[in-house]
Amino acid sequence: MKKLMKTMLLAAVAGLAGVAGAGQAAVPVAKIQAMLAKPKVMCGRFDQSKQLAGMKKPLAANGRFCVVQDKGVLWRTLQPFPNTLRLTKDEIVHYQGDRVAMRLDAKSEPTVRMINRVLFSLLAGDLAQLETLFDVDGTVGADRWDVTLKAKEPALAKAIGTIRLDGGKYVDNIVISEASGDRTSIVFSSIQNGEAALQPDEAKLF
Amino acid sequence: MSAAVTRSRAFAALWLVAVCLLLGHNGYLWLVKRIAPDTDIMALLPVQERDPILQQSFTQMVDAAQQRVIVLAGAAEWDDARRAADAYSAVLAKRPDLFTATAAGEQVQAEWLSLFQRHRLTLLTAGQEGQLRQEGTPFWLQAALAKLYAPFGGPKLGAWQDDPFGLFAGWAQERAQETPVRPRDGHLSVSNGQRQYVLLPLTLKVPALSMTAQETVLPLLQEAGAAARKTAPDVELIQAGVILHAAHASAQASGEASTIGIGSLAGIILLMWLAFRSFKPIALILLSIGIGCLGALSVCWLLFGQVHLMTLVFGASLIGVAQDYGIYFLCNRLSADERLDSHALLKRLLPGLSLTLLAAVIGYGGLALTPFPGLRQMAVFSALGLVFAWLTVICWFPLLIGGRTLKSGRLVSVYGAALQRWPLLRQGTATYALALATMLAIGVGIGQLGANDDIRLLQNPPKHLIDDQIKLSKLLDAPTPVQFFLVRGDSPEAVLQREEALKRRLDPLIAAGRISGYQAMSNWVPSARTQQERRTLIEAKLLQDGGPLAGLAEQAGEDTAWIDAVRANLRAAGKPLTLDAFLAAPASEPWRHLWIGSSHGEYASIVALRGLQNATVPALRALPGALQGVQWVDKVEEISSVLGRYRQNMAWVVLGAYAVVFVLMLPRYGRRTWRVLAPTALASLITLALLGYTGQNLQLFHVLALMLLLGVGVDYGIFMQEHPDRRDSTPWLAVGMSAANTILSFGLLGLSHTPALQAFGLTMLLGTLLVWLIVPCFGSTTLKANDVPADAFGNR
Repeated sequence: MKKLMKTMLLAAVAGLAGVAGAGQAAVPVAKIQAMLAKPKVMCGRFDQSKQLAGMKKPLAANGRFCVVQDKGVLWRTLQPFPNTLRLTKDEIVHYQGDRVAMRLDAKSEPTVRMINRVLFSLLAGDLAQLETLFDVDGTVGADRWDVTLKAKEPALAKAIGTIRLDGGKYVDNIVISEASGDRTSIVFSSIQNGEAALQPDEAKLF
Repeated sequence: MSAAVTRSRAFAALWLVAVCLLLGHNGYLWLVKRIAPDTDIMALLPVQERDPILQQSFTQMVDAAQQRVIVLAGAAEWDDARRAADAYSAVLAKRPDLFTATAAGEQVQAEWLSLFQRHRLTLLTAGQEGQLRQEGTPFWLQAALAKLYAPFGGPKLGAWQDDPFGLFAGWAQERAQETPVRPRDGHLSVSNGQRQYVLLPLTLKVPALSMTAQETVLPLLQEAGAAARKTAPDVELIQAGVILHAAHASAQASGEASTIGIGSLAGIILLMWLAFRSFKPIALILLSIGIGCLGALSVCWLLFGQVHLMTLVFGASLIGVAQDYGIYFLCNRLSADERLDSHALLKRLLPGLSLTLLAAVIGYGGLALTPFPGLRQMAVFSALGLVFAWLTVICWFPLLIGGRTLKSGRLVSVYGAALQRWPLLRQGTATYALALATMLAIGVGIGQLGANDDIRLLQNPPKHLIDDQIKLSKLLDAPTPVQFFLVRGDSPEAVLQREEALKRRLDPLIAAGRISGYQAMSNWVPSARTQQERRTLIEAKLLQDGGPLAGLAEQAGEDTAWIDAVRANLRAAGKPLTLDAFLAAPASEPWRHLWIGSSHGEYASIVALRGLQNATVPALRALPGALQGVQWVDKVEEISSVLGRYRQNMAWVVLGAYAVVFVLMLPRYGRRTWRVLAPTALASLITLALLGYTGQNLQLFHVLALMLLLGVGVDYGIFMQEHPDRRDSTPWLAVGMSAANTILSFGLLGLSHTPALQAFGLTMLLGTLLVWLIVPCFGSTTLKANDVPADAFGNR
């Protein structure tokens, strides 16, 4: 996530984030919005597989994630190396163990707010928000949906590539395919709702 | 007699030809060549002190700023700000001939990273370089692994393998943070936490300092502002640009010119009417002044090839002296016998008139001896103006004014009678006591005078413009164009190396929060030496056999072939980035003004500072000491020091002028010479004391006024000493008329809102009034027949 963040940051800096007004939705975003549970607090497990250009085997990682409305996102990689990423409204902090490996705030980097909003929207499936930056294309079934996001700004599209989301009540899968050939897929599972979903050490970080 | 008249007619005709030539030349200058006065205050500096590279650095920093207008439209909600900005832009779009909206093309923005990407192995931040020196393989392995397993990969800066340690991403991010402005929804945006602002950078297509620009641009900006407010009523508009200041200054000047000008003109005309019962005198005096000014301008232009604005300002003060010759002649004409021929009258007045001219010309001549080209030009301008005005009086007045032209008004006789009752200083204890007390009071007053050479004397923009400027620089965190470091060297590489040495000294100041950052060419293109050092460091710490790449291969289950492939891929981007390549790329566009290039075999660049506070300036000024080729440049301070040195030099010139005038008067007035000068000297001292008592600080323009006061005051002294008999009120009338005119024309400048003009006006007001009041006290009581030839035909 740190990399996407930086990518977006740089892309945005380079003048690529801009799109005026929300475009015409190719899918009934409202219908998907209605399908999503949108809990105030949501935590679960993720399993990530990365296929990088120039490497033979995919790299696997897993951990826990939490999405808390009005607060932000917690992304805790547990395997193979524990580290934690916390995104709040004005700040991105990367912990290696208890040590702060990196801290970026909106004061020194104004795009932090935009990046955090987009990542929050991705994990929460908030397509209405994403529509302002991406062209949304996809299908909606009775209790399943899937969409493909492509940045409206051509250069940003080139930077991020395409993002595919699918799910029902929650976002279940995210696949990011980059122009460079790197490909990341993330599967979400064991999603819990409500304050109790946050483990005590996670609650402490917010 | 008739021979004399013929001769004087011939002179008058000759002078007419000369004046026609002057008029023709002036018409050519103003109407055909459309000359504009030079406004660069640095042009006033002595030539040897001026440094072409320094000059060019100013030009690059300041001229770049001059044509720019920056508008910020801010609102709590981004959408409101955006709508307001769009409404604003829509109005401006109607006049594409006035503005270029600065919008970098999408292609340029998309490509800006690609140049650096090709050289990414040599681009590191200072922090990264430090980490590379300190940390070992485990640290870098861990960093790369964290990136490897981070949830999303980033293709923008290449694939993971193009930047496995995230160094290039970190460098690019540091570059991005040199400005808080970010693109957002097709606009440029900044925010301060409370408000979101849309930034509209505009470039004027017409010269910002031209009147046409001010007359067309300002109303358009107002209309655009109104449109923005109509769209989003809560929008906050912040506007800044040289043109706004220029427009305000010219509006203020024309406003003041009309009130002060009309006031003084009406006063002078009324006065002339009361004294001479005719408008002819005022017309004649204006004629002599006008010819004086136009002639001075013509000849100055021929001599110097340009005329400085300060010369014109100072030259305008000519009026005060130039009128004296005409007035003196007219007053004598008024009091002389009607039967006396004007030519004969002139002949009698000629010695006094010549002395007043000589005194003034020599006084101004002192200015020409200073090493300051500005003062020299002012001196030449003033002296020429006086000569032209004087010649006009000598050649034309006797022909134009006959014995019966002027009639005396009642005011003249009432005023003339006052001279008889005026106190006269005689030797005695009372006089000595008074002198002692006066000197004491003057001493105390002058002791309280401070000095002030602040640049704000020359211009004082209104509060709302300053407020906008402050808000804008806070929001944009932009460097000031008037304070920066100038770095020089005999090659571009030397300049970049010296920049880097300077930056190492600035980093602690950033860490301490005393400046927020710096902009420098070497931020983008490090010196070849630094790039080589970093390249070596990366080779030794990251790419070596058994280094972090081996660990990565092991974790990812790859073999040595993979390591070799990654290494080769990285090394392909290890060629140093050159300055020329950067300057040729579109990415350098916002930074090109920092590179001055070569001039006189020397290369130079600018290191600009962001978030500079006044309290930090002394530390910065002291910084270059140990650094070679680095100079702290402070235009504000520079101008203040120019003003300060002019103030001190002028003070000496004034003193010197007194001495010269004294020597000059000696042959004609002998032991009475001191009486000519004493009233002016005393009035000057009392004026200075009064300024001290009222808490004013002495500045250049007070001293310039004192110089003029000498020119004016000596005339009064000469007039009075030419007619020592107290019963003859002719000189007293001339002094009164002249002083009243001077007070009306210059004293009213004291009402100006420009501190410099106000100081000048106030000094002239006090000084002239005091000379007028004091001059009869220094009259001599004895009457010598040969000293008062005017009385032979006197009408009383």
